[in-house]
Amino acid sequence: MSNGIVTIQDVEKEYSLGATVVKALRGVSLTVEKGEFISIAGPSGSGKTTLLNLIGCVDTATRGDVVVAGKNTAQLSERQLTDLRLNTIGFIFQSFNLVSVLSVYQNVEFPLLLQDKLSSGERKKRVESLLEQVGLNTHMKHRPNELSGGQRQRVAIARALVTDPLIVLADEPTANLDSQTGQAILDLMKSLNQQKGTTFIFSTHDHKVMRYANAVVRLADGKILGRESPELAVAHAVGMDAPAAPVQAAS
Amino acid sequence: MISRTVLLLRIAFRNLMVSPINLLIGALILFGTLVFVLLGGLLDSLSRSMERSVVGSLAGHIQIYSAASKDDLALYGQFGNDSDLKAITEFPKIQEAISKIDGVQMVVPMGVSGALITSGNIIDLTLERLRDLVRARAGQGGREELTSLSKEELDAQIHAEILHLRQIIKVLRGDADRAMADMLSARAVDPHNLEALHRVEKDEFWDGFEADPLGTLEFLENRIAPIVTDTTLIFLRYVGTDLDKFQHSFDRMKVMKGQAVPAGQRGMLISDLIHEEQMKLKTARRLDKIKDALANGRVIATDDELKRFVKENRSQTRDIVLQLDALKTAEMVKALQDALGSKETELDHLLSALLDTTDENFQKRYDLFYALVTPRVRLYRVNVGDVLTIKAFTRSGYVRNVNVKVYGTFAFSGLEKSMLAGSTSLMDLMSFRDLYGYLTADKAEELKEIQKDTGAKTVSRENAEAELFGEGAEVVAEATPGIIDPDTAITSTGRRLREDDLIKRVYSQKELDDGVMLNAAVMLKDARQIDRVIKEIQRVSDEQNLGLKAVSWQKASGLLGQIINVFRVLLFVAVAIIFFIAMIIINNAMMMATIQRTQVIGTMRAIGAQRGLILAMVLIESVVLGVLFGGIGMLTGSGVLGAMAMKGIAAPNDVMYFFFSGPRLIPTVTTGPLVIALVIILFVTVASTFIPAWMATRISPLRAMQADE
Repeated sequence: MSNGIVTIQDVEKEYSLGATVVKALRGVSLTVEKGEFISIAGPSGSGKTTLLNLIGCVDTATRGDVVVAGKNTAQLSERQLTDLRLNTIGFIFQSFNLVSVLSVYQNVEFPLLLQDKLSSGERKKRVESLLEQVGLNTHMKHRPNELSGGQRQRVAIARALVTDPLIVLADEPTANLDSQTGQAILDLMKSLNQQKGTTFIFSTHDHKVMRYANAVVRLADGKILGRESPELAVAHAVGMDAPAAPVQAAS
Repeated sequence: MISRTVLLLRIAFRNLMVSPINLLIGALILFGTLVFVLLGGLLDSLSRSMERSVVGSLAGHIQIYSAASKDDLALYGQFGNDSDLKAITEFPKIQEAISKIDGVQMVVPMGVSGALITSGNIIDLTLERLRDLVRARAGQGGREELTSLSKEELDAQIHAEILHLRQIIKVLRGDADRAMADMLSARAVDPHNLEALHRVEKDEFWDGFEADPLGTLEFLENRIAPIVTDTTLIFLRYVGTDLDKFQHSFDRMKVMKGQAVPAGQRGMLISDLIHEEQMKLKTARRLDKIKDALANGRVIATDDELKRFVKENRSQTRDIVLQLDALKTAEMVKALQDALGSKETELDHLLSALLDTTDENFQKRYDLFYALVTPRVRLYRVNVGDVLTIKAFTRSGYVRNVNVKVYGTFAFSGLEKSMLAGSTSLMDLMSFRDLYGYLTADKAEELKEIQKDTGAKTVSRENAEAELFGEGAEVVAEATPGIIDPDTAITSTGRRLREDDLIKRVYSQKELDDGVMLNAAVMLKDARQIDRVIKEIQRVSDEQNLGLKAVSWQKASGLLGQIINVFRVLLFVAVAIIFFIAMIIINNAMMMATIQRTQVIGTMRAIGAQRGLILAMVLIESVVLGVLFGGIGMLTGSGVLGAMAMKGIAAPNDVMYFFFSGPRLIPTVTTGPLVIALVIILFVTVASTFIPAWMATRISPLRAMQADE
């Protein structure tokens, strides 16, 4: 076994949808090293989100081992999984998932309150510094619905990074943003990755997004097709996606 | 921890603002709490003031009575009857045992009973007086104030009474003539009565008086007295008690007219309200009531009740007319003519004119009435200083006669107008026991005297009962109506014994304690100790085999004591319904909210929130809602109560005087209903939200990943 920050070994994941069993992942193995900026790519239904869920400890594998930050998630209780998420992983969601009744500042502070480790002064410092990094230190008192999509996602990034996690998981972080804003978000993620050495794992089916990664894991039908450079992956993806394009245009 | 709670509270507050249904829930909770705090507070105040009334007027804090009694004790009667209590005969032992209990201040023995008294109509009273005078003149004894008079004085008084009787006969004759003049009522006039009136009108009838005074009186009693039908029956409810102890224990009691019964002596204090309401000359009583009403801002011109009083005063003048002999009649006619500037010669017309009161002339006429009329008539049927002969029937059908001197009248301060507090008069224990049928030592002595005087027949009858009651046979409480009968069934010796000896006799505490009683009031140093002392009494009673039952004032007052509880139950039911509806709505609303917030809750879980936090978040939300609006409800309710307390709530009628323990109820804001309201709110909100909150904890963090379209 490798000593990566995330180690996945022969993982299978099955869901039952009524009477039928859907195999979302069929024998996946993957190692992610600390500080990587890695993209999980593949079309819808390829198992991207399932894989992300397993890494994010919000779900457990049917078979195989998922080891996150040295802990085998299959052996952890619900409570321990929650603690692991709180202290090790930051989440960035496709639809931002901010708490609408809380201000920008309070949204970012939320995980720190859950951790309950820092004094309020330390919390304030941390939250303000992160909001400055994402360029929202002037919007601290705003409510999420007063912000644009890109601003919201930046709040979500600040929230994901505020606990100084080992891994940040981002599920299609730019899917709900226009391409310009999406690029800005990715630039931000990338710079945070470089500054702090935080491992970023993000899923996408957009080849423009893949280019930002230093490695791309391509998934199809629950299997890893390969772990390759972004250029190669994009080439593959364009090839894969090309036939689908006219169909999408026609619909 | 604190900052996390602050966070949850913040989320709760903000979520509340989002959903308009919370306003409806809040309004329900506010209303429910307001009703509960306001009415609960009023009921508490009412309960406290009623406690003051009941505890302070008759019951004391705790009542004890025989556990073997047929009924439960109901001091104010239950369904119109007095309770059937088994007599207690070992009072000294009981008193000793109970007095030792910590917190007990005094034990006051009691027995409630009642007698129907008739003060007799005016002709009866006049005839009685005449008979006493004739007896005194013949040297046959009688009251001291008569026997001490000279023959001349007695003659003069007899003459005056004869004139009075002839005046009454004249009035009756006038009534009959008027009746005869009217075709319809003529039939109602008994020719037998007419013939009798005709006979006693004549001088010849009265010329024969000196020759056969008693025969003449007998004719008048048998033939004339029944024609006057305005006899009033008065039901006199009394509690026989150790009067000294009673006066010391019930410190709200005050003597209104006359004086307290001298220590250790026999005697009665009549409830001042009974004395005013039932024993006062009706015309005077009605004038008093009109005066009170006018002082309270009512006006005769528009008030139906007051108009009726005036009408009754104008038409019912015979009570006054019949009381006057010819001389006094003439005097009063003259006085009224002068006062009213009238030439009218008939007294009843003059009185009718005097009593034709309006809002303008009322005060003047009222003063005239009390200045000119009342000094010449008997204002009360029973006066302070009178000796009432109370005749009571025991269950076995024998008659008990007891003479009791009325020393005065009394009332409980603050409850002067309450018919409930004023329904009971006070009697000394010895007289009570005599009436009740318990053989006291001096009663036994009297029986011996009677035996000597009147032979065995009467005595054996009395003895039968004496033995029945005197030797520890089952003694049963009596609440039988008796009749005041000036002509007691017992012979003159027995009567004299009572009037001259018994009335003046002073009894020792031992004699007072050593005898039958039905119940006793236990006064405590601290009213909050009631429950504990009741338990102690029961324990002591069981240990020493005293056979007692101890109940709180509330239970002892029978149905009356339960009224507040009935209202309380009604209030609880109403509030329960309101809160039940609130619970259903809260449950639904929180269920909907949880479903709507699936993604947010999933996100929180994904980010690292444990299930407990989610549970707390949802629960706190409805608790905040409940406490916020409930708090407004509490404040409003307390505020309204406080505002009411500034002026107090005026008792709307005499009955409420008792419940209000005075003319006004001053509600107080107490923590009791507030604390209960808070507990209810917490229960309602937590219980109604528990299922949605639990559901929320089951939301998987996976839900965060799902796009929210």
